[in-house]
Amino acid sequence: MKIENEATSFKVATGFKRSKRGSFTLRLTSMIDMFTILLVFLLKSYSAEGQIVTVSKDLRLPESTSELAPKVTSVISVTSEWVLLDGRPVEKIENILSTNNLLIEKLHDSLVRLRAITEGIGGISDQMKGFQGQISIQGDKEITFDLLKRIMLTCGQVGYNNMLLTVMQKG
Amino acid sequence: MNLKQSMGRRLKGHGDDAELNLTAVMNIFLILIPFLLLTAVFVRISVLELALPSLDRKPSAAKAQPPKSVVLNVLRIRETGFELKSPETNFSPLPKKNNTFDWERLVEQLKTVKKKYPDSQDIIIAPEGSIKYDTIVSVMDRCRESGFPNISISG
Repeated sequence: MKIENEATSFKVATGFKRSKRGSFTLRLTSMIDMFTILLVFLLKSYSAEGQIVTVSKDLRLPESTSELAPKVTSVISVTSEWVLLDGRPVEKIENILSTNNLLIEKLHDSLVRLRAITEGIGGISDQMKGFQGQISIQGDKEITFDLLKRIMLTCGQVGYNNMLLTVMQKG
Repeated sequence: MNLKQSMGRRLKGHGDDAELNLTAVMNIFLILIPFLLLTAVFVRISVLELALPSLDRKPSAAKAQPPKSVVLNVLRIRETGFELKSPETNFSPLPKKNNTFDWERLVEQLKTVKKKYPDSQDIIIAPEGSIKYDTIVSVMDRCRESGFPNISISG
């Protein structure tokens, strides 16, 4: 009885109409509309592959309209201060730009070592891919061509001829 | 007749405010949406492929392919603007406008070259040392969109 009283007082207070006493339904139509739109959007941006490439936060990649998917390779990251190979710092950018030598010695040495290791792995089993001459370059968008040229030349000298420039997809 | 009657009965039974039972749909949404939000990738990363002429493979590749008539298009990027050079055509250099590169006219010039040599696929981009990486990537995009997918970079 008490509950019924409360219910009736609520009805009076809000003027909310009910078709039947005891059966209470929420109006969910607008919420369903919203969820449907969200669902379509999320399904559209869903990718089953996941992310192969991780980019550090202080690296701002340039934008491009390219739609080629990234591959799993070793990565040279070029931030505004350091050149890194697979996450390990190799050489400071000031030191690179202060010389006239186009070949970056330390990067060259690290790449030669990396090539030897990948070739060794490739020799062990056929399932491993071994050396393919591919390397990704993740460059900050503010770096100059002068620096990029030296890095590319160094890669080319070691035999990494296919360079994949990592970029952010537009749109 | 039978169908009409049953339809009529059903409608009458519900009165004028017929409502769907949406609880099941809501349940699906409540599970799907958090799951998709968690797995959503908002920043997509792609790759631009760039191949240097390799030191040891070049002779064999040259033998395998008969030499085609190569149209040598060179696009210089200077601090002051673009300069496109193509055989038999003298394009006027494109200076910067209001400190930004003149992208529209670059695309125009590239399309003119493409019209003249529909078979040509190659372009050499030669930036100055001080050009930003961002600019180079944008130029590569424009070249690819204008029909020159084989891009080389020259120092």
